[in-house]
Order: sequence, then C-alpha cells, then structure tokens
Amino acid sequence: MDEKELLGQLATLREPAVLATIVSAKGSTPRKTGARMLVGRDGVIAGTVGGGCGEGEVIAAAEELFAGGPPRTVRVDLTDDFTTWSPAVCGGIMDVFIERANPERFDGP
Amino acid sequence: MNPSAARIAARVLEALGRGERIYTAVVTGARDPALIGRRWWLSGRRHGGTLGSPALDEAVAAEVPALFPPRESRGALSRDFRYFDGGQAATATVYIELHGPPARMIIVGAGHIAIPLSRMGAMLGMRVEVLDDRPDFAAAARFPEAEEVRVIDFRDPFTDFDLGPSDHVVLVTRGHSFDYECLVRLLRMPAPPGYIGMIGSRRRVRATHEQLAREGFTTDEMRRVRAPVGLDLGGQTPAEIAVSVVAEIILFHAGGTGVPLVEKERVVERFFGDL
Repeated sequence: MDEKELLGQLATLREPAVLATIVSAKGSTPRKTGARMLVGRDGVIAGTVGGGCGEGEVIAAAEELFAGGPPRTVRVDLTDDFTTWSPAVCGGIMDVFIERANPERFDGP
Repeated sequence: MNPSAARIAARVLEALGRGERIYTAVVTGARDPALIGRRWWLSGRRHGGTLGSPALDEAVAAEVPALFPPRESRGALSRDFRYFDGGQAATATVYIELHGPPARMIIVGAGHIAIPLSRMGAMLGMRVEVLDDRPDFAAAARFPEAEEVRVIDFRDPFTDFDLGPSDHVVLVTRGHSFDYECLVRLLRMPAPPGYIGMIGSRRRVRATHEQLAREGFTTDEMRRVRAPVGLDLGGQTPAEIAVSVVAEIILFHAGGTGVPLVEKERVVERFFGDL
C-alpha cells in the first residue's frame, strides 16, 4: 500500500483505530522514520512499521490505547544478539509514537 | 480542539490536491503530559492547531524550511525544541512531516525506452509526463502509468512546463539534435531541473557537448547533465536501461554509493577472513 492510500484510509476511518508512526530510527531497522501503521481493535488495518522486527510489540502497546491509555512513544530495540534467533536482530532502535487516530470514534474517555 | 491524526491526514490530502507543500507536527515528548499528541500544521501562510504553546508553534514554524531540502517532496524527522512559555524555559520533542506534490519525471522521447521508464517512474511514486513530437508515439494508450502524454514541438519543448529543481528530466529522443534543443532550454532556465539525464553513446554525448561548447556553455554547465544517463549495470534491453536510469535517480536522492552492497559491506572478508 502506498503512502497516499494509507493517508486516505486514515482520513476516512469509520472504526476507532490507533495510529503508530516511526518518529525516529537509528541503525538498521526494516522501516524508516515516517512509516505508519493503523491498528484496529482486531489487529492491523493497514501499513507496517517493520513486520516481525518489533511490530508485535507496537501492536501490543496499541491495545493500551483502546483501554484508555494516553498517547506515548514506544521504544523498540531490535539489537538482540543474533545467536538467540529472536526476530529482533535487525540491529537498530526505533521510537514509535502511538495515539488514537480518530479520538471522536472512541467510546468513553 | 486538538486536530486528530485523521483530520490532519485529510488536510495533507487537500494540500497535495492543490499542489501545495504542507508541514505537520505533533508533540511526542514533553514534561507536561497534556502536551503529548498536540498537533499543528502549516501550508504556505495558512496554519491550524497548536503544539500547546504559541512560542513552540513559532519555533517550529521558523525552523521547518531549513529542516527539509527544497527539492524533496517528502520528509519525516524528530527534533527537540527549546522555547519560553510563561517566562519559563521548556523543551519538547516534536515529530515533523513534510508532504509535497510528488516529484515529476519528464520523459522526452516516447520511444521504446520510454515505456518501461514511465512504468518504473510511476512505481517510484513520481508523476510521469511523456513528450514527443510524433502523435503516434506520444499516445496515452502507450503509457497507461503516465499522468500526462503530450505532443510537443522540439523547437520549443518546455513552453507550457513550469520546471524546477525538484523535477527529473530524462532525454531519450530519437536524435541528438532534439536532445540538444532540449538541453539548451533546460540549461538556460533560471532554476533548471535538479536531475537532467540524456541517453546516448559516448560519441553521441560528445557531439551534443561539442554543440553546447560552441554555443558558449561552460564545462560546469555540461556537468549538470547526466550523460550518458544511468548506472553502469551492463544491461541492454529497454527494461534494463530503464532500471539503470531509475537506479541513478534513487542514488541521486538517497545518496548511496551505487556499488553492490556485498562489496561495500564485505561481511565475509571482514568477519570470516581467517576461516
């Protein structure tokens, strides 16, 4: 999906969604600063912040926002030792800002 | 009310639809948690929202033009800003994006190389325009990915085009006299396209440069033209040549070395040399 399509989806969301944006990336990360992902209550709607390399962590953090948590920056460290066979061996660190994309569609606070 | 990310996305699409640049900003770090997620945007003289303090909005507005190179149409970065709020020094981390009209690729000469080039330019997210003086060649049906296909007169090829430093012009005409006519006009523009490429053998490129020299152009001006265009990949077919041209355009923007990564990184030699 190209960036303009993702912007279009973001602009016309009907269901509550959390927007995750890579706001800084150092070292080797699969996606760079500016990459975005939209997460709905049932999982990813569109976009990616890097797939296996750290995306699960971001999706888990997005859950907090559906539960009423405040917007925040999630630091994703992908510098695990590669001998562990962890998926997080890309070699970089990224900060991902997560927030409610369309707060007016969320119930409650 | 603080504009939501969804609202800002709609603003960005509106600005792009009008062909305007827009900067958007959001606070991602601040001592006061109420500031986190505050948004602001700026497009030309218009702006909206706030980062929570007029002083911070002003600090960001003052800095954005310098943060992104003028020829880029897309950018994203985070910066810490210091500002005074109610007489107190404060700091905030702000994430800023630039969205601008897409870069253009203007392909002059609608022959066999133009077809894969148009497709690949569109794949890279560029707005592709194809020009030729032959209506049979400059036909929209031949270039489904191009936004525009135009029949032009090589004696005055860019008359209705507002070309500038963010544009890419690739000359693949059928004769070096046409390339020459185009080059003279491009090089005489007050703000020529940032990327000007011209296809051709060494002989053909030399003939064009000789004509430019006779016309009084300097070697510095000649060097603005990437000719022969493309990276040295060794390919021969139209598609292979188009890959070499778009590869050079990526290199031009992304600032790589153009060498194979295996040679640049040399992982085996560096880490396994003594096996």
